[in-house]
Amino acid sequence: MKTCIACGMPMKDISDFAANDPGKDYCVHCSRPNGEMQSFEEKKESLTKFIVKTQGADENVARKIAENMMRKLPAWKEYFD
Amino acid sequence: MSGESIMGESTRQIQKLNTRKKIIETAYRIFAEKGFSVPSSVIAKEAGVSHGSIFAHFPTMNDLTVSVLSDFGDKIGTRLHELAKNCDSTENLLKEHLKVLEEYEAFYFRLITEKNMLPEEARYTFAAVQSTVAFHFSIVIEREIEKGTVKKLPTHMLYNTWLGLVHYYLMNKDFFSDSNESVIKRYGEELLSTYLKLIKI
Repeated sequence: MKTCIACGMPMKDISDFAANDPGKDYCVHCSRPNGEMQSFEEKKESLTKFIVKTQGADENVARKIAENMMRKLPAWKEYFD
Repeated sequence: MSGESIMGESTRQIQKLNTRKKIIETAYRIFAEKGFSVPSSVIAKEAGVSHGSIFAHFPTMNDLTVSVLSDFGDKIGTRLHELAKNCDSTENLLKEHLKVLEEYEAFYFRLITEKNMLPEEARYTFAAVQSTVAFHFSIVIEREIEKGTVKKLPTHMLYNTWLGLVHYYLMNKDFFSDSNESVIKRYGEELLSTYLKLIKI
């Protein structure tokens, strides 16, 4: 099964893929409305907000958690070298 | 490159992956039994690999701990992903959450009791595991809030209340049980039904 290069989510159904396109390597949650992949900063901010919203973490801590998650994903490797 | 050497290369690659898998599977069990401060030599011995082989795959104990935690996150994520997408009930999602926690109960107990002593990267990895659970939880519970079947409370409080309840029973398992039985098995149903009564309209 393919996993999203930008957030690690498993992608099985067509609706999991960006723009319903199984040829894409990233998921529906990591794409912009036009189907392009979000930028590093956009993704970091959306992940941070998500962690705060769903788990109530402190925003600075949430940002560190988000960075640590992104560090392991193929889409963002170059930002951490 | 000849066909034979391609075969040789892929066989070595498979062996390497198998050794890695064996080390990770053994680490789950040993961490559960002895905690996260166990020396790598113990894991090597139990896995039946040389101490050097562990270092080749995981240069530090932190690398091994992080890899085991990531693997755990992948397992939970895969199990909850399909449910969150296809089922509309918080009950079914939380039942599956409890099922995974019961399967890994001894390991998860160590994790939540020793978490603050783990190195920073391992703690962030654990936070990522909980974020995966929170992701699926939020999809399902927000759908129920919209339908009017769950009270309109902030997602993080709904999530933290659930984790708080489950973790309290796990962390005090010596209080809730007189033997080594699974607390999730014994109390899971009661925890879930009580939680649902609290949040449902």
